[in-house]
Amino acid sequence: MRLTVNGTEHEVDVEPDMPLLWVLRDELNITGPKYGCGIAQCGACTVHVDGFAVRSCQLAIGDLQGDVTTIEGLGTPDNLHAVQEAWIEQQVAQCGYCQSGQIMQAADLLAANPTPSDEDIDAVMGGNLCRCGTYPRIRAAVHAAATKLQGA
Amino acid sequence: MKYRLLAATIVIAASPLLAEVDLTPPESASEAEGLEAWARIYEVASHPRCSNCHTGESDHPMWSGPSYGQARPHGMNIRAGESRMGVEYIPCQACHTTMSEDWENANAMPHTAPRVPMFWQLAPVEADWFGRSSIEICEQLRDPELNGGRDTMALAEHLDHDLILHWAWNPGGNREPAPYSLQEHVDDILIWGVAGMPCPES
Ligand code: FES
Ligand code: FES
Repeated sequence: MRLTVNGTEHEVDVEPDMPLLWVLRDELNITGPKYGCGIAQCGACTVHVDGFAVRSCQLAIGDLQGDVTTIEGLGTPDNLHAVQEAWIEQQVAQCGYCQSGQIMQAADLLAANPTPSDEDIDAVMGGNLCRCGTYPRIRAAVHAAATKLQGA
Repeated sequence: MKYRLLAATIVIAASPLLAEVDLTPPESASEAEGLEAWARIYEVASHPRCSNCHTGESDHPMWSGPSYGQARPHGMNIRAGESRMGVEYIPCQACHTTMSEDWENANAMPHTAPRVPMFWQLAPVEADWFGRSSIEICEQLRDPELNGGRDTMALAEHLDHDLILHWAWNPGGNREPAPYSLQEHVDDILIWGVAGMPCPES
């Protein structure tokens, strides 16, 4: 089975019903996407498929259609995505476990809606849980990233 | 609000799952038979496998039925938006992933949200069934202004084509399927149509 992750093509020998998250973490050693619940309830595993946020624990590799981007491919330390920049400036992360999922979901949110209201943010980010309760900082960072992207 | 079109990723998979549904209407049906058929149609329409996504004005899908305990809105603050597909917020397919393979076990895996070979979505606002009475749903379904301009045949064909509807009878996991079968439900729609779409008085 072939898939493209962060611009690199990979070949993996797995059952087609293996969730994309397993393929990323266990087969390709791409460990930015996290396993939180495995049942679509936490968002820690969020990646992009053709730019859209998807819960990688839900997507069977056999059903994958499109290129995958993980947090590793969103930006680089030298060239951060605006959302990553805002996340650092606002010091959003506490333990950090949920944050790659949060950032991938927030990047998708801003691609779809460049000037989200608090209500929009809550509606989109409500599927991404944070045990550390960083929600107020997430909201602030989404607004900050929106401003950066507007200025860009 | 601006939002991106999902068109680029629309893939209606080859449809090995398209059930063979017989759409032959009966030659005749009395009003009494039509009303009996309607009573069964209402059992289906009001069943959680159908009504949970027929939420009318509300864009919050519902979780209700024997496998969900107390009826409540879909977890994770999910909203389907005006698109009814969540495009403005989180597309339903972020979790209800679109099948491109014909999985035997598609909905049997304990960890997955239900999925079909189409985009998951809520029914249109007009098809407001959740918590509605038999008369209310009947009046809606027979009114072309409120049913997408469909006559009986078109309603039956819609049941044949829409794979989310097929899922209702084969939902997997510990979810209770909709009553009767897809074919029996289509037969009832056809009987009800031939009988002149009668609705109960009370
Ligand atoms: S691990 Fe995928 S949503 Fe929790
Ligand atoms: S930062 Fe710890 S779970 Fe979110």
